[in-house]
This record gives sequence, structure tokens and C-alpha cells, in this order.
Amino acid sequence: MNLELTEEQKLIQETARQFAAERLAPIAARLDLEGDRESFLANLKELACLGFMGLNVSQTYGGSETGSVAFSLAITELARACASTAVTVSVNNMVCELIQSVGSEEQKQRYLPRICSGSYPAASFALTEPGAGSDAAALATRAEPDGAGWRLSGTKVFITSAPYAGVFVVWAVTDPAAAKGGGISCFLVEAGTPGLVVGREELKTGQRASATNEVLLENCRVPAEALLGRLNDGYRIAMSELAGGRIGIGSLALGVGLAAMDFATSYASQRVQFERKLVEFEALQWMIADSYTELEAARLLLMNAAFRKETGKSFAKEASMAKLFASDAANRACYKAVQMLGGYGYTASYPVERFARDARITSIYEGTNEIQRLIIAREVLRSFS
Amino acid sequence: MKILVCIKQVPDMESRFKPDSAGVWYSDTDLAFRMNEYDEYAVEQAVQLKEQLGGEPEVVVLSVGPDRVVEALKKALAMGCDRAVQVQDPAAHLKDPWQIASAIAAYAKGENFNLIFTGLQSQDRGSAQVGVTLAEILGIASVTTIVGFEYADGSVTVRRELEGGLKARVQLKTPALVTCQLGLNVPRYPTLPNIMKAKKKEILTLPVGELLHEEARSVTASFYAPPKKSGGIVLEGDVAVQVDQLLDILRDKTTVLR
Repeated sequence: MNLELTEEQKLIQETARQFAAERLAPIAARLDLEGDRESFLANLKELACLGFMGLNVSQTYGGSETGSVAFSLAITELARACASTAVTVSVNNMVCELIQSVGSEEQKQRYLPRICSGSYPAASFALTEPGAGSDAAALATRAEPDGAGWRLSGTKVFITSAPYAGVFVVWAVTDPAAAKGGGISCFLVEAGTPGLVVGREELKTGQRASATNEVLLENCRVPAEALLGRLNDGYRIAMSELAGGRIGIGSLALGVGLAAMDFATSYASQRVQFERKLVEFEALQWMIADSYTELEAARLLLMNAAFRKETGKSFAKEASMAKLFASDAANRACYKAVQMLGGYGYTASYPVERFARDARITSIYEGTNEIQRLIIAREVLRSFS
Repeated sequence: MKILVCIKQVPDMESRFKPDSAGVWYSDTDLAFRMNEYDEYAVEQAVQLKEQLGGEPEVVVLSVGPDRVVEALKKALAMGCDRAVQVQDPAAHLKDPWQIASAIAAYAKGENFNLIFTGLQSQDRGSAQVGVTLAEILGIASVTTIVGFEYADGSVTVRRELEGGLKARVQLKTPALVTCQLGLNVPRYPTLPNIMKAKKKEILTLPVGELLHEEARSVTASFYAPPKKSGGIVLEGDVAVQVDQLLDILRDKTTVLR
């Protein structure tokens, strides 16, 4: 048993922390309020140059080969400063890992270096549809044979990074006669492909610097080589890659929760009411104790899930547990952080209201926490049947 | 060309410090350590020179200290140094600058470095003596507090920072040692692939006992926090008088007015 990070992991954590403090933190509030896509993308490009877009990707394809523990540490540090940047990095990594795990040699050589180097500002994971959210297997987007290739038609929603993604992983039904989930396949569609239309951008509660759009596929023709992984294997691919993504989202939630609680605790150490510092009141001490205990538990769950992934063990249950607990812990921590600042916590003069808004989605996306419980229960019950 | 960079690992300066059990230095339990900021400028300048010369120079990075300093050495390797030397000394904090410089000199003597980069000073002890003492022991030229560096044809031209914001240009022939000040450059972030590749670079471990045979010339007798100051000076009365008083204080006690 060894809970100590390696020297490499510590250096990656330090690099992420330093970059976050120097480059992301100074502009995060402005990006949230006003949006400034140019600055947002410039930071993503720099993060790509430093190797943050393909932490688990082989160096042969331009990745960093740092392992999953370092991935979790990096996302947490970035999220402490800017959750919008962190989620983009997390999704890019998930797309990279997906291509690396099921892509052909040509697909790996074509797309991984572009995402890892930042020549593509981002990559998108286009699974969700208006009628297929938690019930991902219910998707209606069709891919029909068209000469040597395929013709895609349907509507995707909530697609992270769509306006600046260089490539989209798109899920579509290839065999409508198959049992539910059995006839879905996965395609790589490049930005600019005729028929791939980036639609309306959502106005969101939090993580507002990161774009979330509708994506329309209107008779979008792709060549046969666009098929990613085996035909009709798409649902399994989605489910297994989302498990890794959950480590990213849990790590992001942890970063936001820590940022909120660190700020609120520092504030309450100085603010005086009734001639006493706020932290001298037991009411606030309990908030501090509960939040840091929960965030520490979240960190350990995440490290465990990441370590299992890195060492080739099964990790779906652990990743779901970590995502479920970390996102709920982060939301509770943010709620308390706002409470600790009182009225000031509700204003944009202090960052905790942004943290609270940024944390909210973490219990929803990459599988709602209700779906995480289904996964955990299924995994647990399997060993009882 | 061979280049040496001397670095120290220091605690995060925002830490809460408390004396160790002997009361002569800070306790290092629960502290997070990182590379001394001034030494980052030294590493960056050495790597920039290596790049300027098409990768030809060999850049060796050295640190004296316990095994935790390997993390700082690995950062320097990830930033572009070629190999590292740890002068292994669990009690480096009890050595004075003369001993640290002597130990480094004992290693450097046989290696014939053309250029040595060090930080101006360490952020924790702040003696600013190790660099210049090392140069003296080796009998080479040295210049401190550099904020600009150029190299051409065996000759080094630096810009130095003087008191009151003045600058000086200094030229010196190699072999030479320079100590690096804030403003010299912006240290690069080590890239993640380079952090991973640094694992494969050589880190030589030399026990300090093999290099150091000098006694300390100074000893830190105690380490303590200064007594808490009472509140600041409060100026009262007529505004014009207050302004005069303030100007006097700024003139006498600070360098703001000259």
C-alpha cells in the first residue's frame, strides 16, 4: 500500500497548478461573465503544447503517456481555476483515448496528433440526443449505407466544444432491426464535412466559457474509413469510454469544490462579526470540517479509480462511485461556501457563486448521478447473483 | 561546451514555518518543496544557451540535499538539462554556504565546466554566497545578479542589476559563473512528455562525505520567529502636517523617495 504520488505525478500536478494560477485564474471570471473565445482557445492551445490533451495517449501519436492518476491530478488543478477549461481538456482526453482504444492505425495517425498538438482546438463526443439522454441506447440518428460510405442524419444536443472541434465522434444507428443498443456504430466526422451543422449554443448556468451546442446531421456523407471501431459495437464503446471520462468529471468536481472551500475558509478567517472572526464560530467550523472531509474522501475514491484504470484492472464501478461522490461533495461544498460568505457569496464580486454554478452540472453530465447509482448497483449485485 | 546549473529545493514560501526540534532550522515535515525560484532562471538560461548553440553543450544540473531533491532535479531535466547529480546529504540544512560551495567545487573541479549558472540566492536561507564562493574556489570569474545574458565566441556579456534600478553591462571570458536574478527570463513550464522522458535521464548520486572535507565557518545558532510587532504608525492632526510627516518617513525609512 502506497498513497504517495510519484515524482512525475507531483511534477505534472505542479505544472498544472502553476499554469492554472498564472494563466487560467486571472481571466476565469471574465470568461464566465463576458465570454472571450479567443483567450479561452489560446489557453487550450498552450495546454495542448504542454501535453495536456493526450495524457493517456502513446507518445507515438503525440501523447504524453502519463497514466490516469496524473490525468485526474491535472484536471483537478485546472478546475480549481477554470472549470470550463478543465471540462474541455477532459473531453478532449476522452475522445483521444477512445480513438486510441478502438481506432484503426490510419485513424490514430490522422487524428491523435492533431488533438494532442492543439492543431484541432478541441474534439467532440456526440452521443446525446433530444430523445436519448440517460437512455443513450434510444438514439435515433441513422447511418445508412451510401455507396462505399455512410450517410448520417439526426440531431445531437449538449455537444461540448462543437463550434471549435476539429473532429466529432458521432454515434448512429446502423442496424435498426437489432435489439436495443445492438445496432449502434461510431463514426469520426471532421468539422466542415457538408451536412454537419453546428447549431444553437446553449446559454448555461455554469461552465459558460465552454461551448455546448446542438449538432445537426443533414444527410452528412462520410467515407467508409470514418467508421470507428467495429460495426454495431458503438454502444459498448460509448459505455466503456464514458467510464474513463467519469474520472475526469469527478476530478473536475473535486477541483471546483476545493477552490470554493479554500476561498470561503480564507474569507471566514478574516471576516469579523460579533467581534469575532467567522471561523471562530462552531457553525462555520462544522461546514469546514464536513466539506474538507467529503472532498478528501472524493479524492481518495478518484485516486483509487484512476489507479485501477492505470494498472489495467476493472474500474467502471469505482469510476462511477468516484464521480457520484465527488460531484455531490463538490455541490455541497459550494453551497456551504456561498453560505459562509453570506450576501457577498451571492455576488459576482467573489468567485464562489461561479464555483457553485460550475459545480452544478457535474452531478448531471457524463451520466447523471442517478445513472451512476444504477451502474454501481448493477456491478455490486452481479457479485451476489 | 559543458554547463553546470546548481539548484536548491526550497519549501513553498507561503507555508507556515516552525523551528525544528534542535531549534536551528525550520521543521520540514508537512512542507511542500519546489525548485528555488532564482534557480529556475538559471536552468532556463542554461537550456536557452544549449538551444542557441544547436544542442551542442551538455547541461548538468546539480543539487545538494536529501533524497527529496530528486524531484527538483527531475523538473530541471524535464526543462531540458541532460543529466543530473544529487550530492546526497540528509543534513544539508546544517551546512554553511562555505561547505555547500566546497562540496560542489569538489565535484565540478574534475568536470571542467565552461559555464556555471546558479540562482542569485535561495528563497529560504538567502545567503547569496554559494555561487560566488564556488567561483572563488574554482578560481574562475563570476558576476552576480544578472538580468540579461548573451554568449558569443567564448565570451559572455551580461546585464547586471544595481541598486536603485541602475544597470551595468559586464563582459567576461569563460570559464565563468553567473548568478541569476528575477527578470532574466521567463522559465518554461516543463511539458508532460518531457517530464515522462526525464525518467530515462541519468541521475548520479554522490554521498556528500566523498566530496566534503571542510569544516563549517559559520553555524546557525537558533531559528525563531520575530516577536509580533505592535500596530503601525498612526499619523494624526492637520493634513498638511501629516503629509510632511509621511514624506519624512518615506525618505528616511524607504527607498521610495530619493
